[in-house]
Amino acid sequence: MHKFMTRRRFHVIWTTVLITILALFFLFPLVWMIVSSMKPESQIYANISNFKAFLPSGHISDWGKAYVSIFHRFPVMRYILNSVFYATSVTIGSIVVNALAGYGFAKFNFTGRKLLFGLLIALLVIPGTTLLIQQFQIAKTIGILNTPLAVILPGISSPFYIYMFRNAFAAIPDSITEAAELDGASNLRIFWNILLPMTLPTVATVGTLSFIGSWNDYVWPLMVLTNSDQFPLQVAITNINSTNPVYMNQVMAILTISTVPLVLVYIFFQKYLTQGMGSAGNGDK
Amino acid sequence: MQTKGIKRQIGWLYVLPAILILLTFLIIPFLMSFSYSFTNYNILTPWAKQYVGFTNYINTFKDPVFLQSLKNIAQFVIFIMPIQVGAALGLALIVNKKRPGNTFFKISFFAPQVVSLTVVSILWMYILNPDQGLLNGILGIFHIKPQPFLTSPKQAMFAIIGVSAWQGAGYQMLIFLAGLQNIPDSLYEAAELDGANSWQRFLHITLPMLKPTSMMILTTTFISAFNLVIQPMIMTQGGPQNATMTPIYYIYRTGFTDRQLGYASAMSVIYGIIIIIFTIIQRKITNAGGDENA
Amino acid sequence: MEKWKLGVATVAAIAALGLAGCSNNQGSSNSKNVTMWVHVSNTDPEGKALQKNVNDFNKENKHGYKAKVQFIPRSGSGGGYEDKVNAALNSGSLPDVLTLDGPNTAAYAHSKIIQPIDKYITNKKDILPTIIKQGTYKGKLYAAGYSESSIGIYYNKKMFKEAGIKDSEIATLKHPWTWTQFKDICKRLKNHFHEPAINMNLNDHSEMALYSLAPFVWSAGGSITNPAGTKAVGYFNSKQTTSAFQLIQDMVKDGYTTISPKDKGFETGKYAMMMTGTWEVQTLQNQYKNLQWGVMPYPVSPATHKQVSPTGSWQYAMSSTAKNKKAAGALINFLMSKKCMYRSDMANTVLPARKSVSKMMMPKVNEQMRFFIKQNQTTGHARPVLVNYPQVTRTFADTVQNVTLYKKNPNVQKVMNEQAKVIQKYLQK
Repeated sequence: MHKFMTRRRFHVIWTTVLITILALFFLFPLVWMIVSSMKPESQIYANISNFKAFLPSGHISDWGKAYVSIFHRFPVMRYILNSVFYATSVTIGSIVVNALAGYGFAKFNFTGRKLLFGLLIALLVIPGTTLLIQQFQIAKTIGILNTPLAVILPGISSPFYIYMFRNAFAAIPDSITEAAELDGASNLRIFWNILLPMTLPTVATVGTLSFIGSWNDYVWPLMVLTNSDQFPLQVAITNINSTNPVYMNQVMAILTISTVPLVLVYIFFQKYLTQGMGSAGNGDK
Repeated sequence: MQTKGIKRQIGWLYVLPAILILLTFLIIPFLMSFSYSFTNYNILTPWAKQYVGFTNYINTFKDPVFLQSLKNIAQFVIFIMPIQVGAALGLALIVNKKRPGNTFFKISFFAPQVVSLTVVSILWMYILNPDQGLLNGILGIFHIKPQPFLTSPKQAMFAIIGVSAWQGAGYQMLIFLAGLQNIPDSLYEAAELDGANSWQRFLHITLPMLKPTSMMILTTTFISAFNLVIQPMIMTQGGPQNATMTPIYYIYRTGFTDRQLGYASAMSVIYGIIIIIFTIIQRKITNAGGDENA
Repeated sequence: MEKWKLGVATVAAIAALGLAGCSNNQGSSNSKNVTMWVHVSNTDPEGKALQKNVNDFNKENKHGYKAKVQFIPRSGSGGGYEDKVNAALNSGSLPDVLTLDGPNTAAYAHSKIIQPIDKYITNKKDILPTIIKQGTYKGKLYAAGYSESSIGIYYNKKMFKEAGIKDSEIATLKHPWTWTQFKDICKRLKNHFHEPAINMNLNDHSEMALYSLAPFVWSAGGSITNPAGTKAVGYFNSKQTTSAFQLIQDMVKDGYTTISPKDKGFETGKYAMMMTGTWEVQTLQNQYKNLQWGVMPYPVSPATHKQVSPTGSWQYAMSSTAKNKKAAGALINFLMSKKCMYRSDMANTVLPARKSVSKMMMPKVNEQMRFFIKQNQTTGHARPVLVNYPQVTRTFADTVQNVTLYKKNPNVQKVMNEQAKVIQKYLQK
């Protein structure tokens, strides 16, 4: 019995050590990013092959210098606000538009519904990214290039999210809507006051996925925006990374800054990411 | 389905905004790619746009860069699938066990996911710098000689695969974890009573019970792998020697930088069809989204 | 019953998005306004000088013209300045005035993107002939270069002395050095410091590749295409052109240079030499005051002894869609004036494009800048004028990359034969 316990403990210890090493492998680039933003550029290079690479500068007064410089050189606040604006608009738009469509498909037997829904499912296989250039031509034709609308509009409707919403609404028994209708509530009121609250997990999932998707979008905003004042963070940071003179500590500072908002989103909405994806992928409910 | 058979045309109004946007930014562009692909549309000389038949299509098959890009994406897909999904499953199994510091491990594995692809690409560019990069600095401690990474045609794509897996595994770990936690403990208890060891339990309970989750993860990884563009765009510009040129990036470059819209469209048609075929095959195999015709 | 509410909600949602979109985008078409795009960042010295010049224009011009500059930095990660110009071209939203690199003049003028500016530019005789030539297409001036540029071999005097290189071995415009002597000096430096001797910026796969390395080709008597710009096979893979690329490969293979140079390696005394442009003068003067350095000309091919240096620069041009041609022309002319050119060229330490500015700068600049001005006037060689120049220059950069991967591509001639065919493809169109 005693022997068993030590073996067991030994097992726990060495697996924990191994897993810690593994965890460090996942963490070291991020730690390096953050600490490198907190020291002078020359120190980053000097520390590259010893453990000091993972420590910020010895002088606390150095820690904020790169941040001060990057805010001084570039309108960082503006880029952050741009990104927040784009991502929030896409999130709200995506929830409204896709939920309405999902409601329409789930609860109304209008002419052509089956055909339209079949088409929608077929659209799931069309790879949007191969069409960037044609989408650009469209944005040009309808005259929204160099406006926030060009960044936002294509992101607010997605066959996949409509599909998720349709499943969520279809899972709600018709008896509930019928009872409400008997009370004289309008369709929209039923949707807004009764059904949408019942699909809150789907709303949260679609909202979170839309926000993250828009926040991380790079190639499309890069294509449709010219004025650097309109750039979202992702485009701005590649610009900063190639605007001479490039100082590595400042680059690391802007990388760190641009990560903070997403950390918050993940902290608050992480559970909806897995829930939503899991149920949608299994196709049940 | 519970929907009643009564026709209610107001449904149209609800689906209309979504359909309009999809029409504008997905369906029409899709059709446009076909019509452009038969012309020599050049941004510099739009007035000289002419119908050229299948010339663009014939040229794609003679274009070494396009062919190379197809080869590259195949390499990426083939390697990223087992590496990323395998890693995700492994990590999920690790954090599913109760042990001290579990929350820390979970957060660590998930952390790269929080960073956007743009940030990941720029960050790793500095880490993988052959002469002053962090990774060669670390390798130096173990007396491993400096590696060229992104500057070598042989290593560049593997570097991108590694970086992508590092970033993506954490998210899929969470999904696997949700799947693992849905497996009833009673199954394991029964198996333990039958004398099954942990490997047998994994093989006969965990894996089969995770099948739907795995299928879903494999599908999404597979399809999104075809869209690889940000990492090579930022880290290598498709080089060295086009070793990391991907179809999407090449289409972007041909249409945007080289101004050849017609030729770029022909490539987007071909690549689009390739993706569609693979997606349909995938769907047939995994049968994901089973009740879609209901 | 209350269907209208849904309609209102939908419309409101879309309108809200639309309003948000429009609020930032007031494309006023007041004809007194001039829009301008430049390829530099508003955070670097050149951009700052330009902004000052434009502010002066807005203050000083008597017609009430107002110019607004948009800074669109070139970027290595795709989507740089040229892509933006292409996108604007595609959507018909070019600005009134834009900057363009010398080699693009022909293509832009040929496809009527830019229009002649002869009549707006005053005091043309003062402008350097190379600048006029670069901006001229079919006898008309389409673009006005505001600076000249050049490249030299910067060297660290202390390191040279340490490695036992004598003063008599230092090359000058009067006493140039050959590739053989160049390699010999590299070898001695490398053996002494155990580091590559020179940073040739081989990690830069942009226009820099052709701009900085083509002089080796020209010195060897080679070329990229035939003079008419219709044939590359037989020219890009000629013995002479190949010899220049062989030199580049040998430099890497022998460890004299590297394809992944350390950042600021020359400035911090790791590399004894660096091949780069005039802009480096300013960096060295301001930030590395302790470094003792000089500049040497390009080494020449031992077969021809021909001295060559790169030339050319960015220029101002007027788009063919300019709303108010007089205002746009006035802006270009103002920016080309002595005062403005002096300010921007001094700020960026580039070579002046006017003789009078040259005279103003000479007493103010150091010995190295005087060397550059002289080199530019005596050995400058223009880049080829080709409609598909962007693709050609990229192929050139690819070729450089290919030969520097010497393990994979040991046979330079084979690479050249393949790449000549690639360039040929772009010429036939």
